[in-house]
Amino acid sequence: MTISELQREASHAHIHPPPQGFVSRYVISFDHKVIAVQYFITSGLFFVLAGLLAELIRVQLLQSHNTLLSAQTFANAYSVHGSAMVWLVIIPVLTGGFGNLAMPLMIGARDVAFPWLNMFSFWLFPPAGILVFLSFLYGAPQAGWTEYPPVSLHTPGTAFWCAGIFLIGVSSTITGINFMVTIIKMRAPGMTWTRMPLFVWATLVTAFLSAIATANLSAALAGLFIQLVFHVPFYDPAHGGSPVLWQHVFWFYSHPAVYIMILPVFGIVSEVLPTFVRRPIFGYRAIAYSSVAIALVSFMVWAHHMFTSGLAQWVQLPFMILTMAVGIPTGIKIFSWVATLWDGRIRFTTPLLFALGFLPMFTFGGITGVMLASVPADIHEHATYFVIAHLHYVLFGGSVFGLFAGLYYWWPKMTGRLLDERLGKLHFWLMFISFNAAFLPMHWLGLLGMQRRVAFYDNQFEGTKLLHLVTDTNVWASFWAFVLGASMLVFAYNAVRSATHGKIAGPNPWGARTLEWMTSSPPPYYNFAEIPLVLHGPYDYGKPLPYANISQDLATEPIA
Amino acid sequence: MATHAVSISDAEYEEVRSHRLLGFLLFLISDTIVFSSFIFSYLYDRSASPIWPPLGVERPGLYLAAVNSIVLFGSGVTMHLAMEAWRHADRPRFNNWMIATIVLGLGFLSGQAWEYSHLHDTWWGTVFGASFFTLTGLHGFHVFIGVIFLITVLLQTRRGVYSQTRYFGLTAVTLYWHFVDVIWVALFFLFYVY
Repeated sequence: MTISELQREASHAHIHPPPQGFVSRYVISFDHKVIAVQYFITSGLFFVLAGLLAELIRVQLLQSHNTLLSAQTFANAYSVHGSAMVWLVIIPVLTGGFGNLAMPLMIGARDVAFPWLNMFSFWLFPPAGILVFLSFLYGAPQAGWTEYPPVSLHTPGTAFWCAGIFLIGVSSTITGINFMVTIIKMRAPGMTWTRMPLFVWATLVTAFLSAIATANLSAALAGLFIQLVFHVPFYDPAHGGSPVLWQHVFWFYSHPAVYIMILPVFGIVSEVLPTFVRRPIFGYRAIAYSSVAIALVSFMVWAHHMFTSGLAQWVQLPFMILTMAVGIPTGIKIFSWVATLWDGRIRFTTPLLFALGFLPMFTFGGITGVMLASVPADIHEHATYFVIAHLHYVLFGGSVFGLFAGLYYWWPKMTGRLLDERLGKLHFWLMFISFNAAFLPMHWLGLLGMQRRVAFYDNQFEGTKLLHLVTDTNVWASFWAFVLGASMLVFAYNAVRSATHGKIAGPNPWGARTLEWMTSSPPPYYNFAEIPLVLHGPYDYGKPLPYANISQDLATEPIA
Repeated sequence: MATHAVSISDAEYEEVRSHRLLGFLLFLISDTIVFSSFIFSYLYDRSASPIWPPLGVERPGLYLAAVNSIVLFGSGVTMHLAMEAWRHADRPRFNNWMIATIVLGLGFLSGQAWEYSHLHDTWWGTVFGASFFTLTGLHGFHVFIGVIFLITVLLQTRRGVYSQTRYFGLTAVTLYWHFVDVIWVALFFLFYVY
């Protein structure tokens, strides 16, 4: 298309005046940027609560027969810790938070397709979280974040948990539909599919998974809720129901959900790396299309969580092979990122450090994932700390590190001020060292046979030596888990401090080339004075910026 | 639905309409997934049981369900006729067919209520009964929402919310109503025939 044709396409786009009152501006806001901040703050509060539960778990595990918590309370603690981290922190931050903050700006839109639904979707989230934590008053869930019956049928608080997760599921579905329509229909003129920034690709695929898979979770939760409240026997083997059925419907959602928790992070890493390496991303199409491949395969691997649930062997085999096949598109991404680093002019800023930390840790978690996909290995390791270690390498070393990469990267766009680099680096190194020190030894504990999900462990694991360096691996892991928790205080201090002491960021502090940096920080209510025209893909460092209709004082890429 | 209908240009309306249509279709897809998940659960439990329906449970009567199905499919036809009348700008016929659709929808719901009240209370205790009530209940809830949706749209047309070229609310309610019809085909087959 020529520029004049593009301009004709962009001609009808109104600028609405921003709302005036405090409530319509910051509480019941329709503005995607404000809603993003609402998601960050709410998730941040739940992150603190769920993190404190994690520390409580590690305090209990300091001794093999610690009397601090009862077996019941310990089960409640890890169940709510897991549920909250998955549904109240990682998923809302990555979709509602980063998706809202960056995606509409990156496609050059004024807002999402349905701003009212976006507001509604956010306001389902705080009540959902409150319901999950309120379950403590009525007997919190005790069967882990997966809530397998029949164990989950014995605590009345599980009904609260169901209601809470149901609400967050509905919120997720609505956001998914909203984002899909936004990305499919509202890209700036000239932004063809292959000119979309990779974070937008990732958000599109995630939105698809949220809209489709989460609807299935809602049905499963409704079934569990009906069973708990009306005592019908869906999952109760005593009356003709089947507990394995819950596992099927739960994992048919929750395995795609694993990718809801990692695909946006892939997107973030794909934005952060080229910006600080000053090179075009290697294999743009490979990264974009492999996200689609991962999403499709993710619907065909759910039963790999159920190898110890008595599936027939002919069922296990295809699930094992398909699960291992997920390693192929994921590996394509990892190789592309490493190749992007190759021969680049790397600036070791905090966002890049977090992205670089993500690479080896996620790869490691992926490799243990392939180990667990193998049926014989899984049957041996399924109930042990090996799975705890694998999950945390993927979800903490992967998702949370990527999440912080995105937070440090887009913080100046969101607030207009930079975070302190020295504090940021301190945060990174504390987090990186303490995370690995705490979770790496759990692989050994698991292989030695230490059972997960129990409050008391066998005396033989008290004083487990590790490479003749560590005298008690469990005490060691707990110590580093406390350091890991404390490292978050560095971030909190940095965030609060930036409000007054942070350097003014300017429109484009990192010298990035995607559209969100082509407007002021924070962006005005209407995002862009004129809808930009896109003439080329976003990653061609060293070439002129590929946009028209951008006001000249904002179209900067100062760091060559 | 179309509160901006008067103030925006045709091109803008076309854009907004295409967003809403895609959004609504995606909603219907995710709603289909909700039904599919329950249907999968039902078939899973069924395949695990040697006798179906389980001992002591009788299938609900086919006769009433068949009549009820005809009522619901009839409402699909009247819905289509209402839409056709709208396209031909025939308001009186449109009103009549809309009212007919609403009445048939309410007729289906009363048939379902009658059926529920004549089924055994012990049904809740079995997987067959629980699946039956959950799935047909969820569908009945959709019909109920659909009736409210129809009434709202009918009142909106009387208030002049929609014009001859801008009537997305009407399109949405038509899609929704046909969707609910199609789901019923699956449920009827599963519970009364198969």
